[in-house]
Amino acid sequence: MMKYILLVFIFLVGSKSFAQLDSIQELKVVNLSSVKLQKHSKGYKVLNLSDSVIVKNTESFTTLLRYNTPIYIKEYGSGGTSSPSFRGTSSSNTVVVWNGININSINNGQTGFNALTVNLIDNINVRSGGGSIEFGSGAIGGTVHLNDQLRFGKHFNNQLVSSVGSFNTYSNLYKFSYGNEKIATKIGVSYNQSENDYKWLGTNGLKNENGSYENLSFTLGFAYKLNNFSKISAISSKFNGNREFSGTLPNPSAAKEKYKDFNFRNLLGYRYHKNEFTHEVKFAYLTQEYRYFADKNLNDYSFGKSKRYLLNYNFNYKISPNSSIETFTELESILGKTDQIEEKNRKQFSQSLIYTQNIENIGSLNAKVRKDFNSDYNVPFVFALGAEIKPVRNTFVRFNGSKNYRVPTYNDLYWPALGNLDLIPESSLQGEFGLGYKTNEIKLDLGVYFINSKDKIVWTPGVDPEKPNDWTPINVAEAVNKGIEFTAAVNKYINQHLFNFTINYSYTIAKDKSTDKFLTYVPKHLANGSLSYSYKRINAFYQHLFTGDIYTTTDNLDNYTVPYYNVGNVGIGYKLIQKENKNLILGVKVNNVFNKEYQVLPSRPMPNRNFNININYKF
Amino acid sequence: MKISKFLLSLFLLSIICVSCDDDDEPQLPKGDYENGIIVSGEGTFSGISGSTYYVSNDYSTTESLIYKKVNNEDLGIFVQSIAFDDSRAFIVVDNANTISVVDRYTFEKLGEITTGLKKPRYMTIVGDKGYVTNWAEGVYGADVDDDYIAVVDLNTYEVTSTISVSIGVERIIEANGKLFVSHKGGNGTNNIVTVINIATEATTEITVNDLPDDLLIDNSGNLVVLCEGKAAWTGNETLASIVKINTTSNAISSKLEFDTGIHPSALVGNSANLYYNIGSKVYEVSQSATTLPASELLESSVTTFYGMAVNNSELFVLDAKDYASEADMKVFDISTKTNTQTLKAPINASKIYFN
Repeated sequence: MMKYILLVFIFLVGSKSFAQLDSIQELKVVNLSSVKLQKHSKGYKVLNLSDSVIVKNTESFTTLLRYNTPIYIKEYGSGGTSSPSFRGTSSSNTVVVWNGININSINNGQTGFNALTVNLIDNINVRSGGGSIEFGSGAIGGTVHLNDQLRFGKHFNNQLVSSVGSFNTYSNLYKFSYGNEKIATKIGVSYNQSENDYKWLGTNGLKNENGSYENLSFTLGFAYKLNNFSKISAISSKFNGNREFSGTLPNPSAAKEKYKDFNFRNLLGYRYHKNEFTHEVKFAYLTQEYRYFADKNLNDYSFGKSKRYLLNYNFNYKISPNSSIETFTELESILGKTDQIEEKNRKQFSQSLIYTQNIENIGSLNAKVRKDFNSDYNVPFVFALGAEIKPVRNTFVRFNGSKNYRVPTYNDLYWPALGNLDLIPESSLQGEFGLGYKTNEIKLDLGVYFINSKDKIVWTPGVDPEKPNDWTPINVAEAVNKGIEFTAAVNKYINQHLFNFTINYSYTIAKDKSTDKFLTYVPKHLANGSLSYSYKRINAFYQHLFTGDIYTTTDNLDNYTVPYYNVGNVGIGYKLIQKENKNLILGVKVNNVFNKEYQVLPSRPMPNRNFNININYKF
Repeated sequence: MKISKFLLSLFLLSIICVSCDDDDEPQLPKGDYENGIIVSGEGTFSGISGSTYYVSNDYSTTESLIYKKVNNEDLGIFVQSIAFDDSRAFIVVDNANTISVVDRYTFEKLGEITTGLKKPRYMTIVGDKGYVTNWAEGVYGADVDDDYIAVVDLNTYEVTSTISVSIGVERIIEANGKLFVSHKGGNGTNNIVTVINIATEATTEITVNDLPDDLLIDNSGNLVVLCEGKAAWTGNETLASIVKINTTSNAISSKLEFDTGIHPSALVGNSANLYYNIGSKVYEVSQSATTLPASELLESSVTTFYGMAVNNSELFVLDAKDYASEADMKVFDISTKTNTQTLKAPINASKIYFN
């Protein structure tokens, strides 16, 4: 078996460029990202979505984040185009980070949240606040981290998760992980499909026509300890998605758009760690492609594709047991084109420096700076400072401040006749102050933030008098976002009964500075929470989402708002097999259990009550 | 005493009038939206439905979202245009492949047409038939050339047949037993006007300048076509023009061409003049003129010129602003060239109809 797997890997490494690794020597788990999120997030809030959270919302990445994080997600009908708004910022101001690499599209600056598979990701973190130092362009509202993990140490694990649900929805996942003292490897395959033809509540029998989707993804990971000090690793993941875009009220039968995604991400790494020194070299190769079919019955499509090469060198020197200094040197080359834009090459060199200091029994801090040199325009010098102080046992005070940026996308710059080569990067200054309380049972965090963004790139009509009705991107808007984020998590054992309760609440005021009006598609109030209970072989949970009213017009008209809604899901599971290395849970889940009629975006009803049966078998 | 008696008899008379049938119709209000202006707005790509607003003739009342208010549902995305017969309004919603039929004075929904339409744009009514231009399928590539005119039975609200035409249909108007269709080009460009003999459904094409869009019949019975011409930024600029076509012979009787770099986007007319815009400026030209005016009639000062109408001595201009907020409808007195009223209009308001 082992030999076979090795062969598979050697073959793959030989045939395609590959992926990377890193790890903390002492730990058995290898995180592939070289940016140690926790270590670099002093003073920031980082939510961790563990495996047990992820398996509750495997239907889509959008749903997972919608029910478990403070991010508001605009979704054009369930399964359709999906883009985030973090702290009231625009879609291109949330960065999705795959194993430490910013994977937002070069064409539009965003990541579609329905073009990511949930199931294969081992671990997801969501960090609120700016992160351009570590993650580059667009990390203004916050960052979403998709992490693969590889485990050393003798083990041989299989996991099969399979579910069948309403609207002919099938979701299947198989993960394999093998390790010994020298080798860590994993394979994952996931396939999801759905007719997604749910009833549109509140209509006379209309259905979500043209909403079906299917996607297939693979992940392969491998790490090998060369000796006590060094290690190589590789990770490769592929996603192919095929989605239809459902229609709008009142005639869903008019819809016939289709969208395909092809994403391929590879990371290859070498890490050397001895005494106070750590060196790490990574090479990444990523490709992205979309194809948009205005009519699924026809063969014509428009497309966008990009290739990215990334070379990164990370040096870490441990000055003392409590302090360290790290440098990140990165060289990036991006080739991008669309059916409208000829292939362009953007090159970038960036250098950042991060200093970390822990002060025993008092707190810790990070100080970071970064400068980019870009072939297309000047990128501002950015900096960040974050600190955490622990004045009393179990409590902490945290604060952070940073300058961040977003560079213009290829569409912004090069769209024929409309693109604007004079654009400069958006930039923002932000600060946050938070208080928290943390024990094994209870975690509380309350943060207040302020973001001031300028030179925001906005597609604006009538900029050029010769093209009065055409939209052109210009650096125009200034926005102020301020708000409160509150998170609480309680884990409590009472005898053998385990109760778990989490809640995220965010209050967001995002305004355009020139008009003093609220930005559109930002709910002032957003709350989600879950309550779960387990006892012996039984577990049950309830998830709830509240989204407040959102303005859809820039003049903030009340009669055009999308009204607030409350939606809830319940699930129950029973452990049929409970052995040391064998574990089988049979579960049932009811989504939208109260059969609420709601819309995330206007004219696009969301799913009615629906069911699924699932098994989660670990062996 | 005499007066009260007179009033009483007047009152009784009025009761009789109300109870007797439609013989004395002019006295009866036909609905809340009579004697006013209907403004339609397209809606937005992000999902704000197209909508209709009502403005009373004296401008004292503006009522928003009237279709939604009366029928408790939305029209759908991209309300393109409305066609009227004596009692009904046919609201054409292009992305929804739908025509919603309402009573033109009460806006109560009477029915809808949801099959047989593919990106419907404009409709004209001849007898009990509606003729609807459709972009049909394909945004690019080989499949784009399948545009057609849907013939709708206005009694059953069904598409009964189609007439195949060249690519890029837009406006449609009836004159002299014929239908005239401008081919602006849909997602591409075109430069023809198709003439359809209503009786035989035979078609002939008249070549005009690029991007023919607005159509109207002038006071001498000619068809007037606004050709916008391709703009400079397309890399292949062509001249815009106002073309007049004799509706009997189908021959071009006159052509007023604009200078290079000038591209009007809307054309309307009253009994004596034509009005067109260049950007936010509105120009007036006599229907018998042989040259174009050197200077504008008025500067409308709108941000995003998105529609225009004329009613006797008043000119109406729609400002879609940032395409994401309520539009303005600016009313100008043509003789004094002053902006007399500014009224609220739907999101991306593009059409004005006098009800």
